Amino acid sequence: MSLFRIEWSSGLFHSGGFRAIGEFAVAVFRPNLSTDVLDAALRASWTTVAYAFTGLSAALAIGFPLGVLGSGVLTRSPGLRRASIAGTRFSLASLRSIHELVWAWLFVVAFGLSPIAAVLALGIPYGGILGRIFSELLQDVPEAPLRALRAAGASEWRVFWHGRLPMALPDMLSYTFYRLECGVRSATIMSFVGLGGLGLQIQLALDDLAYERVWTSLFFLIGLVVVVDLWSTMVRRRLTT
Amino acid sequence: MNAEARPTANRPFAVPRVTLLRASVLTTATLLIASWVHVLSSDRASRQSFFSSETWDRVSSFLKELLGVGSATTPAFLQWAAWQETAALALDTLVISVIGIGVAGGLALATFMFGARNLMLGELAPYGSWLWRGIFLLVRGFFVGSRAIPELVLAMLIVFVFLPGIVPAALALGLHNAGILGKLASEVVEGLDPRPIRALRSAGASRLQVMLYGVLPQALPRFITYLFYRWEVIIRTTIVVGFVAAGGLGLEFRLSMSHFHYTTITLLLIWYLLLVVGVDLAAAALRRLAR
Repeated sequence: MSLFRIEWSSGLFHSGGFRAIGEFAVAVFRPNLSTDVLDAALRASWTTVAYAFTGLSAALAIGFPLGVLGSGVLTRSPGLRRASIAGTRFSLASLRSIHELVWAWLFVVAFGLSPIAAVLALGIPYGGILGRIFSELLQDVPEAPLRALRAAGASEWRVFWHGRLPMALPDMLSYTFYRLECGVRSATIMSFVGLGGLGLQIQLALDDLAYERVWTSLFFLIGLVVVVDLWSTMVRRRLTT
Repeated sequence: MNAEARPTANRPFAVPRVTLLRASVLTTATLLIASWVHVLSSDRASRQSFFSSETWDRVSSFLKELLGVGSATTPAFLQWAAWQETAALALDTLVISVIGIGVAGGLALATFMFGARNLMLGELAPYGSWLWRGIFLLVRGFFVGSRAIPELVLAMLIVFVFLPGIVPAALALGLHNAGILGKLASEVVEGLDPRPIRALRSAGASRLQVMLYGVLPQALPRFITYLFYRWEVIIRTTIVVGFVAAGGLGLEFRLSMSHFHYTTITLLLIWYLLLVVGVDLAAAALRRLAR
């Protein structure tokens, strides 16, 4: 039904668009590998990785406390627990429902072109996602060992530190690593609001119609994502089995 | 870092396990410190530093403008006409997300079984051949490539061919998500119960018959679950792709930013939140139906 909304007749294509994409496709076989292009791509990759790591540590700082609150495990009174779960889950949902680039745009207008804007823009929605997953993982821990701790007279706080957290930690770390992978991709597009990184190189090269340079940056991006992907898969397999 | 090392401490017998994790912890720590140093030093080098009193002045004035405090005209989010104008854009955004998930689902459905290792090369393959190995590598390569390139970059490439509008935005979203869905779905196939498939094989079914009657019915429920989950992600991304592919709320958001129509931005953000929440609820309901 959505297809009706497209105006099929009134020229969907650019004239000469297919020639441009042909030139673009051919350029894959001769990416620009001159030293200054490679140097720019390397620097941009480092900026992207730096955004991913700082953004994710900000996300952990937001997501971990909210995740603990959102799992409602620190209290035994059912009313307090329900209030804590509902309130935190709602604020987590509102954090993550806005896309990181929209956050970035708002932050750039508010803070100016500071890299801290990128860190916060990544950290807030990712914190929302981490918080939700953490709270679910903390709730899904097997109950029996916790009951043993409670029977030995441990307070709910102690049960959390010595029972729940150690049991949920491997899965939590594994998910954080998976998010790091997504963070690299998200950090790339921070350039579109003027914050630098690999996306900026791609954008500049496209504006110059320098397809060879576009491919250089694209190869760097794919390589970066593949490396982080393999690393996180390896670590996660070790953590969860 | 002490907390990260803890899960390995109670596994004394797994020696290689510890070394990989130790190396990872060390790498992570190094990269983390280097990243923060890099970000903080380039912040200090930039013209407007984050840690200055001006920042807070700017934030508060920006918030005031978003809420339309102290402006002469009525804020856009209180005007009925503005709501009516932007409703069409919201509909466009919804349409983009639906076409996008349609493209992604179609592409992934057509390819995901050819990206499953066990079916193409491993124990469940009737015979190994260079043709099937080639198809497998091609499909996996497509998954990796389309997954690695963000939808925004794809959209920038696609507007070279298509006129800006709904189609390029939907195509960019569809291509990127096809890679993600395909990878998730092939991993589902790799984890399937092999016994029904072996039974089909021993009854003499061809490879395509095995796929149609053995794999597809088993994998489809999980596939549909993933499909709706990705739909939720896509609706969030649609606004961003709209920045460059010029469809839906994204374009208007970008224009309002450039024209400093801050109350219109608030209106668009409200629409966006309504869409996100609506799609989340719809997808959750559909997922429950599919199960």
